[in-house]
Amino acid sequence: MIRIPGSSYLLAWPMATTEPRRDLILAAMIRVVGANGYKATSVADVIEEAGTSRTTFYKHFDDKHDCFLAAYDMLVERVFGEVLSSCNGSEAWLDRMRGGLATIVELFALDPQLARTAVVEVAAAGAEARQRHWNAVARFTEFLDDGRELAGGRELPENIALMSAGAVSGLIFDEVLAGRAERLPAMLPDLLFAMLVPYIGPRAAADEMRRAAATG
Amino acid sequence: MPQVGRREPWRPPRGRHRLPPEVVARSQRDRLLEAAIRVVAAKGYGSTTVADLTREAGVSRTTFYELFEDKGACFLAAYDNAVDALVRRVTAAYESEQRWPDRVRAGLEALLAALAEEPELARLALVDVGSAGPAAQRRYRAAVQRLTPLFDEGRDFAAAGRSLPANTSRMAIGAVTGLISDELVAGRAERLPGLLSDVLFATLVPYIGPNAAAREVGEKS
Repeated sequence: MIRIPGSSYLLAWPMATTEPRRDLILAAMIRVVGANGYKATSVADVIEEAGTSRTTFYKHFDDKHDCFLAAYDMLVERVFGEVLSSCNGSEAWLDRMRGGLATIVELFALDPQLARTAVVEVAAAGAEARQRHWNAVARFTEFLDDGRELAGGRELPENIALMSAGAVSGLIFDEVLAGRAERLPAMLPDLLFAMLVPYIGPRAAADEMRRAAATG
Repeated sequence: MPQVGRREPWRPPRGRHRLPPEVVARSQRDRLLEAAIRVVAAKGYGSTTVADLTREAGVSRTTFYELFEDKGACFLAAYDNAVDALVRRVTAAYESEQRWPDRVRAGLEALLAALAEEPELARLALVDVGSAGPAAQRRYRAAVQRLTPLFDEGRDFAAAGRSLPANTSRMAIGAVTGLISDELVAGRAERLPGLLSDVLFATLVPYIGPNAAAREVGEKS
């Protein structure tokens, strides 16, 4: 991954879009909300950050909330895109999960404002936004579910992926809420343990944790 | 502490009475705390006004501002109050048992029952608390962390206890709140008690692994 310190790597991507100005506004929304909080953000702040006019903003969006939802969807798609491409090429479930998790924490650490918008401020943007956040977490659980095969035929609860995702997202949320998103990569061994333990138990998960700490 | 939405809080008698002023103030405060939970759960934090709270609680605006700086302060106090009651209930159930897995089962059972009894409060406490901003979210995390010691007794119980990461209790808590929030978001609070097997498994598994956790879950269900 190319690291661009202090800039939004994810949102500075070349965009395959027919509406570059709309995307500029969405990226600005994510940055401004991450920096100032959803409640304190105004449309004026967003267009100033995006360098577009008010007319352009209202051509694309009804209001701040409408724009935020679109921005949040874009954010989720981009993070997913990154996670998917980091998983590609790895056959083993464990490798795919490790790669995907590392990608998420690196993205969040590189861009703490994006992380704050993604997991903390989204909750302040209303019920619909919270639902979309929840849907995003649920999408991650689909990746996890192949881990059932590792259980060696044991009966595992139907909800096991949700347990795994809940444990991981709880740890990530705590760090981002405390303003420590840049520390997330250092927590990767713990996050990996949290993700794997429902499937493979504490001994095997602790082995993976130590391996991750050694190679990290 | 009065239980929100279940029984009317005590009110001082109308007319002339000789209650000391601090007793009257306490009752007004309690009424406002209950009103804050009820109104915010029904209307959402953003659309709730101080006028809604004073009307629901039957106190004057002047009284409100004597007791709280603003809407946010009142809501956070109400939130802490409700969470206190919940944590006490869970802790009491937990302490009624001896073996750690049994203690966890009892505590989780009490938690699910309490949340199912008051679905609006449950949703507010776990899902919608973020609408009141990061300060409320920090309160939420702090409340959840108060349950950490109950989980951490698992370290002494587990054979792998010493090699477990320091964050193990937070992982278990994250898994449990994830499962509960999933039901609440789907509007199925009444089904929470049926989640006992899953939340018990989720709590035990980082400490004792999937096989032993499944055995513990299976033993009494």
